[in-house]
Formats: sequence, structure tokens, C-alpha cells
Amino acid sequence: MVTRDVYILGIESSCDETAAAVVKNGRTVLSNVISSQVDVHQKFGGVVPEIASRKHIENIMPVIDRALRDANTDLSNIDAVAVTYGPGLVGALLVGLSAAKAIAFAADKPLLGVTHLEGHVFANFLTDEKLTPPLLALVVSGGHTALLKVMDYNSFELLGQTRDDAAGEAFDKIARFMGLPYPGGPEIEKLALRGNEEAMEFPVARLDSPYEFSFSGLKSAVINYLHSARQAGREINLADVAASFQRAIVDALVQKTATAIFDTGLKEVVLAGGVSANSVLQTSLAETAKICGARLVCPTSILCTDNAVMIACRGYFMLQAGIKSPLDLNASPSLKLG
Amino acid sequence: MLTLAIDTATKICSVALCRDREIISEYNVDAGMTHSAHLVPQIEKLFNECTVKKSDIDLVAVSIGPGSFTGLRIGLATAEALAYTWQCSLHGVETLKGMAYNMPREGILLSPVLNAQKGNYYQGIYKWQSGKVEELQSACVVGKEELFSNIASIDMPAMLLGECDKLMQDKLPENIIVAPEGLLWPKAASVALAAIDAFNAETDKNIFGIKPYYIRKSEAEELWEKRQKQK
Repeated sequence: MVTRDVYILGIESSCDETAAAVVKNGRTVLSNVISSQVDVHQKFGGVVPEIASRKHIENIMPVIDRALRDANTDLSNIDAVAVTYGPGLVGALLVGLSAAKAIAFAADKPLLGVTHLEGHVFANFLTDEKLTPPLLALVVSGGHTALLKVMDYNSFELLGQTRDDAAGEAFDKIARFMGLPYPGGPEIEKLALRGNEEAMEFPVARLDSPYEFSFSGLKSAVINYLHSARQAGREINLADVAASFQRAIVDALVQKTATAIFDTGLKEVVLAGGVSANSVLQTSLAETAKICGARLVCPTSILCTDNAVMIACRGYFMLQAGIKSPLDLNASPSLKLG
Repeated sequence: MLTLAIDTATKICSVALCRDREIISEYNVDAGMTHSAHLVPQIEKLFNECTVKKSDIDLVAVSIGPGSFTGLRIGLATAEALAYTWQCSLHGVETLKGMAYNMPREGILLSPVLNAQKGNYYQGIYKWQSGKVEELQSACVVGKEELFSNIASIDMPAMLLGECDKLMQDKLPENIIVAPEGLLWPKAASVALAAIDAFNAETDKNIFGIKPYYIRKSEAEELWEKRQKQK
């Protein structure tokens, strides 16, 4: 039997990256175009939704066109259009979604509405071609911190998530308080390299639920420490603070994941979302997973941050299962996982 | 020339198909629905009812503003992607100028207005002369008093179009009337006709680089600039 290759065009515009990509058979990246707006938002100290939307509308078609050209293909060879429809900034989502729906309609191709966070999980299928479900996913980004059980390509079970701040949010807020530039996560990691992670002991909330997270207490503790030191005129070793804070977050993430590995008996663990680029988290989680008898897969650095490759990959497995979206699909800014 | 036109600058979702200057169909919906969900299905219905093949479209015309920022982006992203897929031309029409095509009659000023928030209006002033529309005042942001004095400075009877219900709360100045309901709102057929008049086969081939005509900056930028000035 001759199986035909399947090409998916992926489109992503949920936050501050306009991205498009073409993926073959769900596993082979033919193109990956990302137009980042980081420098545009830097002077505001964070992503400004209206400005993000304005950049997306300027970039969306050139980015899609570039992705098709880089893949040496055109719309006639595409089998379906996959697009992020949530969660994210509604105005930003609507730009990519409107373009995707129009292409799907105009070219008579199926539309595949993808949950952004599922996309992050699926980035791992592109990093490791042999990886298959069932698996455990730790999703850590600026908006989410969650443990997800992936039973197969289209069924997920949310084990637990954060009760307050997301891990990435805590990184960004602390970085901002320390006067580091936006985005703060990578800045803290850089600064922490020169610090002692045992210099201070910041508390991490102990919750009754084994898979839930809470980072607001930790965030307040760090801010209080910096605040009172400043008021008392004590010298602050910012590198030590960054390292100790990072260690506290990583420990919380790793401990809960270890419990989940133990309880579920799953042998494959994947890391997903923007914070998965953090190398201390990657190393600690890999060591712990190994001790628990599991293997950790992390996305390559280009796939850690927002991209459309992971959206196309997620879309491929939806198409294979016959899951399609209607043309009246709307953006869903607070779309839930699982 | 077959034209598909889109206007999503206001609460009205309007789409139309024209063969040359003849309107085949126009479909306006004001049902409080989101344009993001309903625009593409509405275009789909238009094609189904008119038995026009979508791949035969030569020109996509789109209303680019001023208007609702999000609405403009939904319309433009859709229009760009349609033109890109069909490999046809794309022409952006200023929303207020498009509205002047609702009433192509000489001897009266046409002043389309749209809500610009905080008690302000986007206003343009146009008149028809020898079968062509003349722009007497390009779109700008004005308060209510300035809006009326702009009209009064030209000695002609005038018709208001668009979002003018708040302006009508008090008695309108003499010589100013409001367009009847059927001509009040942005209409995609008008956008199509305005695009056909301004069509340029060479430049309209390029579908990249059309930006929404916001007029106003985002609030974050306005605040930032204010702070920079204070420094």
C-alpha cells in the first residue's frame, strides 16, 4: 500500500510571536517561520495586547507566505490548516484565526483549531520522532503550570495545575522587581549562573493536592526579602537571590512531577511551554525522571517558545483522527487544557 | 471583473459580490454577533446563493478604517488571506469614503461619522461631482462641536451617515439631516464600488503591506509618549 504524505500548514498568533510552519506527516519540519515582537514590547515592560495585535496584522500574510516558500510548496499541496484558537490574547488570536479560516474556506481545506498548550506538548513529538503516548507532560509557561496525562494523541487528563501564579509569571514578576529587562525568565537564569542557590531559603507552599502548584507565596517571600533588605540598606546579592528563587521553583516543579511519575507509572515524561527552555529545570527534571525509572524529553530550544510547528504537529494528529473545526470557530482566550 | 467586498469596521458585518459595477448580492447582518465567528460563514453563504465560483474572484475589496480596531483586523486578515489564496487583487478602502458611496448624489455634503470613543468621532466630508466622489475633509478625530463646525464651514446642506445616534440627542443644526436607516451604515457594496473606481491592476496585485487605517495610536503608546514628554 502506498501511503500519501500529509502536509499541514500551522499558524500561531496567541501572544507576541507571529508564526507559520509546514510540517510533513506530523513529524518532519519543512519550514518554521517566527516573527518575534519582543523588541517592540520591551519599552513597555511586557506584552501590550493592542500593539501585539497591530504587529500580527502586518506580519501574518508575509509570515505564512514565507513558511510555504521555505517548504518549497504552495497552498494547493497543503492538506489542512491548523491554527491556535486559544488560550491567549483575544485580539492577537483573532488575526491568525481569521487568516486561517479564510485560507481554509478559499482553498477548500479542513480547518483544525488547536489548543495552544496541547501544541506545546506536541513539540516533543517533533524533537523525538520515536516518542509516542502514553506520557506525562509538565506544561510550564507564562500563563500555565500544569501536569497533564496524555493517554493517546487525542485524549488528555489534567492531573493538576497552579492555584495562583504560573511559574513563568513568577519568573517575570520577580525579574521586573529586580529591575531586569523583559522577558525576565531568561534574565533570571543568566543571573543565577553566578549565584549560590543555597544562599537563601525561600518557602514553597505545601498543598494537600499532590499535583497542584502555588507560586504566589514564593513570589511574595522574594519581594519581601528584597524590599526589607533595601529599606535596611543591606547589600543584596542579586545573583544569589535569582539562583535561590529559581531553585525553589524548580524543586516544586520537579517534586510534583516525581509524584505523578510514581503514581501513574508512566515511563515517558515531556516538558512543554516557554519555561521548558530553562536549563536548570531540564537538568533537574531529567535526573529525577531517571531515578523514577522514566525518561525525559525536552523540546529543542527553537520549539520551547511559541511557534507554529507544534500547532501543525498537533493539527496533524487531529486530522488523522477525523477531528475538524467549523468555519465559525471563534477565539477562546481562556481555553482550558484537557 | 468579479469583486468580493467586506466591511467589518462597525457592529455591522457586511459582505457583497459585484460583477463590474452591478451588485449581484449584498448581505448585511446586525445581530450582535462577533465578526470573528460569522464573517467567513457569511461569505460562504453569499457564494452558495449567488452560484458564483469563488476561484473566479478578480478583486477582494476591504474596508480598512477608521473603526473598531479588532473589527478592522478581522476584515483585513480575512481579505488578505482570501486574495492570497485566490491569487487575485486586493484593494483597501477607507471606511468613511466607502460610506460616501451609499449616497452618490450631487448637491449635498456627505459626512460619515463613526464613534472614536471618549466623546470623539471619526469624521470625513465628501461630495459627489460629475459622477466622482470628492474628499473635502479626510478622516480625522473630532469632538461634537468641531464636527458640526467642519460641516458649517462649507455652505451646503449636509447628510450625516454612520454612528450618529448620540449626535441626534439634541436638535441638529439647520441644513443637516441624517441618512435613512438603509443608507446609514457601512455597506460592502459601497466598498466594492469605491475599490473598483480606485482599482489599479499593477499596485493592487501586491496583497502585502496594507495596514488598517486606525488614525489613533494604542492607549499604551499614547501614555508612553506622554510620559516621555514629561521627563
